Amino acid sequence: MLSRLSRNAVQSAAIKNSATRCVAGTSRLFVQPSGADRASIVDVPSSYPDDNHFAPQADMLGFKLDMPQREGKLTEKTRPIYLDMQATTPVDPRVLDAMLPYLTDQYGNPHSRTHAYGWEAEKAVENARKHVADLIGADTKDIIFTSGATETNNMSIKGVARFHKEKKRHIITTQTEHKCVLDSCRKLGEEGFDITYLPVQTNGLIDLQALEAAIRPDTSVVSIMTVNNETGVIQPIKEIGAMLRKHRGVYFHTDAAQAAGKIPLDVNEMNIDLMSISGHKLYGPKGIGAAYVRRRPRVRLEPIISGGGQERGLRSGTLPAALAVGLGEAARIARQEMARDHAHIQKLSNRLIKSIDSQVANVVRNGDVNGYPGCVNLSFAYVEGESLLMALKEIALSSGSACTSASLEPSYVLRALGAAEDMAHSSLRFGIGRFTTEAEIDFVVKHIIGTVTKLRDMSPLWEMVQEGIDINSIDWSQAQH
Amino acid sequence: MPNPPSRTALMSLYTSMLRTSRSFSSYNFRQYFVRRTKDTFRAIQAEQDPARLSLLYSDAAKEFAVLRRSAIVNQLYGGPRLAVEDEGKERMREGGDT
Repeated sequence: MLSRLSRNAVQSAAIKNSATRCVAGTSRLFVQPSGADRASIVDVPSSYPDDNHFAPQADMLGFKLDMPQREGKLTEKTRPIYLDMQATTPVDPRVLDAMLPYLTDQYGNPHSRTHAYGWEAEKAVENARKHVADLIGADTKDIIFTSGATETNNMSIKGVARFHKEKKRHIITTQTEHKCVLDSCRKLGEEGFDITYLPVQTNGLIDLQALEAAIRPDTSVVSIMTVNNETGVIQPIKEIGAMLRKHRGVYFHTDAAQAAGKIPLDVNEMNIDLMSISGHKLYGPKGIGAAYVRRRPRVRLEPIISGGGQERGLRSGTLPAALAVGLGEAARIARQEMARDHAHIQKLSNRLIKSIDSQVANVVRNGDVNGYPGCVNLSFAYVEGESLLMALKEIALSSGSACTSASLEPSYVLRALGAAEDMAHSSLRFGIGRFTTEAEIDFVVKHIIGTVTKLRDMSPLWEMVQEGIDINSIDWSQAQH
Repeated sequence: MPNPPSRTALMSLYTSMLRTSRSFSSYNFRQYFVRRTKDTFRAIQAEQDPARLSLLYSDAAKEFAVLRRSAIVNQLYGGPRLAVEDEGKERMREGGDT
């Protein structure tokens, strides 16, 4: 009681002090609080996110209380290292260098046919188209620029299905597809199409016989992704393409967003009719993608976007010349560097898996071991994936696809692979790319091992497992009294 | 037939490319381009065919121009350091003169 009294006394004295000073009109220093008479004006609404928020007063004349940010301060902070190459990849500096002229000086509309500004932009876009076509062994005229793989997937699946809707009303896809394919199919299902969602085997690969058995006379399109975005599983696209070629009128679409520029692809060798490519997954800019639409034999589809008839009428709208050039350059570099990048990624991937495997017990790799090495999906048993991510502040990782990372649901891809719910909850995806270094892998391994050990030491489940209790045999529901 | 590039020309291109690669502000780009430059010039060193050698040389020279511009842009927009870099710095301090 006494202490409270005395504190009050000190406070009131201070208030009186500052009030008299204010009244006296002596010069105020920066950090001096204002008098009690204006305390109610200064009060910050409770809706402000934190206490550090400071509302300026009229007499502050633009001065701030905190020190101005210095240049040097920026370098003192550190950023987490990036290991989420399936979500997006950094733009290669060489790609940016190719794009910059079209963002600054050469701003022409590539569809303008009457002046030099249009011609130079068109020439650059056509050159980019050629690079993209070369990457997948296609003809230049088969490539259509879109806004990304999501748009391309929508355009391909809905376009083909709707074009043939009078005679064909069946679509086949797999359970592990990307959300945009699954959602396009769901939408078509609402429109009255029959959709078959093929299950996958425990290694993530589809069963060719099951696929062949699912084909019906009225099947219009089969959509199977080349490389899975969560597990890195590479589907046997060549075999699927060869099998589908025997069935007339069934078009083969593949979502190659994670595959283009990373593994060799050839649309003719693989008998692919439609393919989706995304710019920002192969070190290009975001906001651009490409569709491969075969012309011989011709794949007909109904465009989603109607307009000026650009891009063979399949995707109207002015092309973003700079982005298209960026995608083209990214495709050119990817083709040129593919062998070197793949060897580098394979080396780092092996290093990561080996070091984690040798130092942590109960780690399961999800998906086929012969998948794309740049995508390593590991489940750490008895550790919750989200808490592992929270503890790993210095590493930018993800537990699954970026599109679904907002929800705490376990990944549907891992569930489709037959992973138990607890293993699907404890998964982490390591995305290794062109710019990942060996030091980063060692850093990650060190931190992962430390964090997993720490979290397991805290976990009662882990203790029980160490004692030899089978967790699945425990009845968790509380007994009734 | 084009003259193969001289040894001094190759060396000078190699050193300037390496210096430019090291001037990238972003850790990942810097490491990548240093690794790549070393790789490229190791391949050039092993090349015996003079026609192919001059082709490789002109490619590298073209790439050098791109790299120089990219390094400038990267320096202009450089961000904070990565967590892994600081660790390397500490290790270097502990190790003394490296």
